[in-house]
Amino acid sequence: MSGPDLKAALALVAEVEQSLPMPLSGSLRCEAGELLALVGPSGAGKTSWMRVLAGLMRPQQGRVAVGSEVWCDTAQGIFLPPQRRHVGLVFQNYALMPHLDALGNVALSLLHLPHADRLKQARHWLDHVGLSAEQQARRPATLSGGQQQRVAVARALAREPRLLLLDEPFSAVDQMNRQGLYRLLADLRRELAIPIVLVTHDLNEARMLADRLVVMDGGRVLQEGTPAQIHTAPRNARVADLVGIQNRFQGVWLGPADSPGQGRLRWTGGDADDTAAPVVLTVRDKGKLPAGHAVTWVIPNDGIVLVEPGAGSAGDFDTEVIEARHLGEITLATLRVHSVPGAHLVLTWAGAQRQALTPGAHWCVRLDPARVHVMPLRTRNGAVQTAA
Amino acid sequence: MDWQALILSLQLAAATLAVLLPSGLWLGRWLASTRFAGKAWIEALVVLPLVLPPTVLGYYLLVSMGGASPIGAWVKEVFGVSLTFSFLGLLIASVIFNVPFLVQPVQRAFEAIPGDLAEAAAVSGLSAWQTFWRIELPLAWPGVLSACVLTFVHTLGEFGVVLMVGGSIPGETKTIAISIYDKVQSFDLTGANQMALLLLLFSLGAVGASFFASARLAVRR
Repeated sequence: MSGPDLKAALALVAEVEQSLPMPLSGSLRCEAGELLALVGPSGAGKTSWMRVLAGLMRPQQGRVAVGSEVWCDTAQGIFLPPQRRHVGLVFQNYALMPHLDALGNVALSLLHLPHADRLKQARHWLDHVGLSAEQQARRPATLSGGQQQRVAVARALAREPRLLLLDEPFSAVDQMNRQGLYRLLADLRRELAIPIVLVTHDLNEARMLADRLVVMDGGRVLQEGTPAQIHTAPRNARVADLVGIQNRFQGVWLGPADSPGQGRLRWTGGDADDTAAPVVLTVRDKGKLPAGHAVTWVIPNDGIVLVEPGAGSAGDFDTEVIEARHLGEITLATLRVHSVPGAHLVLTWAGAQRQALTPGAHWCVRLDPARVHVMPLRTRNGAVQTAA
Repeated sequence: MDWQALILSLQLAAATLAVLLPSGLWLGRWLASTRFAGKAWIEALVVLPLVLPPTVLGYYLLVSMGGASPIGAWVKEVFGVSLTFSFLGLLIASVIFNVPFLVQPVQRAFEAIPGDLAEAAAVSGLSAWQTFWRIELPLAWPGVLSACVLTFVHTLGEFGVVLMVGGSIPGETKTIAISIYDKVQSFDLTGANQMALLLLLFSLGAVGASFFASARLAVRR
C-alpha cells in the first residue's frame, strides 16, 4: 500500500447519535498521523465523545472504526470493551495508580508479556518520554505534574495503540512544563502513524497543535475543519462565539453588488433599528443568501486596520476608544463605531500603535471586505429568519 | 485461666473471618460501586446488627435456627447437627452480628478509590479480575485490614448474642466473654481478672496495630 492509502486504512471514523444519558450527535474522521482537536466549552460533550471512542461508554446508536477494525456498531450489535480496542487514553488527571511506581504503572499496559520483558518494555517507553531511571522508581505522588503526565503518556503508548486519545492533557500542568509537553506531542505525531484525538477547551492550544478542529456544543458536532477555515468562516454564530471571534455583528443581506462576486451587506446596530443613514459594506458574495435575510457577520482581528484620524478614506469608520486594557505585551481595546449605534469593535493589539489606544482617542477603522464572513441568522427551529 | 474458652474464642473469631471476608469484600465492593433505588435499605440492613440490642438479635436467631423452626429442623435432619447451642450455630450468629464491622469499612475503602482508576485499568487492557487484584484490593487494603481486625476482636468480645444462641457449654459454646461472666457469678474474681486483662490488652494491641499499619500504608501511597 502506498502512503495515502495506508493512512486512510488506519483512519478513525466515528459517528454517534444518542439522546440519553446525554445528547451526542455527529460524526468525525481522523486520519492516521493526524491530530484532531475536539474543542468546546465545559459540558459540550467532548469527554463523552472520548469515552465512546475508548469504549468506556456505549452509545445508543453509533459506529466507531479504526481502519478495518470495527470497535462499535450498534446496528450490528458490535461493542468491543476497552480491553480489546488497543486504544491509548491519557486521562485528564492522568489516573495513575498511586500504589505503583512509574515503572509499575507503565507495566500495567504490558501484562500480556512475561515479567522481565514487561519491565524492559516499560523502561523503554519511560526513557522515550524522558523520565530518568531515578524518576521511574518513584510513585506518582512524588512526581511533578509534568512528570506524571509523561508517565501517563508512556502507559498509553505501551499499549501500542491504534488510536491515541488525550483528554485535556495539559490542564493540570504549569506553563513551563507545557512547552516541553507540546514538543513531546509534536515528536509523537511524527513517530506514530495513528490517529490522535485531543480534547481541550483551550482554543489557542488546539489551534497550535491540531491539524483539524471539531467544534462541539451540547454534544453536537457543529463544524469540522482546519483552524484557519473555522476561524475565518465559522458555520454559524455559535461556532463564531465558541472559537472566540469577538467581532460579531448583525446585518441584513441586500443582494449582489454591481461588481461580480460581491454582495451588499447592511450593518445594523445591536440596539433598536436605526433610522440613521444606512451603513452598507460591499463584501464577498458566495451566492448562497437570498436578499432581505437577517444575517450575522464576523471579521477576524487581522481583517481590521487602524488608520490615523484624518488619513482615512471613503468607507472607513470613525471610532472612539471607550476602553483600553494594557495587558503585558498586548492591549485589549473596545471602540465605538459612530455610524452604527450600538456597534462596538473589540481589538487585540500588539506593537507600537497600541500605546495610542487610550480612552477618548479617535481612530479611523478600515474593514477588509475580503475577511468579512456572512452567516444566515437562524431561529431556534433552524429556519432562516427574514429581516422584518 | 480458662484456656479452653480462650482457644474456642480464637477459633470462632478465625472461622467468622474466614466466612465473612470473601462475602463481605464482595458485598462492600458492590455497595461501593452501584447506585440503585433500594440501596439505602440494603445499607440499613447491613448496619442493623450494630444498633439492635444483642438480646433482640439473639432472640430472632434462636427462634429462626431452633429445632422447631424450618431451617433448624432441616439442618438437623440433613446434617444431624443442631444450630442452637452448638459451635455451628454460634458461627452463624457471629457472622451475622459482624456484618457491619466488616462490610462498612470495606465499602468506605472501595468508595475512596477514584473512579477513573478502574477505567484507566480497563483501557490498559486489564480484565475486571485483574483490576480487582492489582488495583482495587491493594488500594483498599488499609480499610480491609482494619475491618478484619475489628471483626476478629469484636468476635472475641461478643457476649449477648453468644449467650442467647449458644449458652455456656464448655468446649462448644463457652467463649472467653461467657467464661469471664461465669467466673464473676461464682465470685472467682482472680480468674475473671486475668482473662479480662488478657482480652483488654489483646484488643487494644490489635486495634492499635491495625491503625498504625493503616496510617503507614496511607503515607506510603
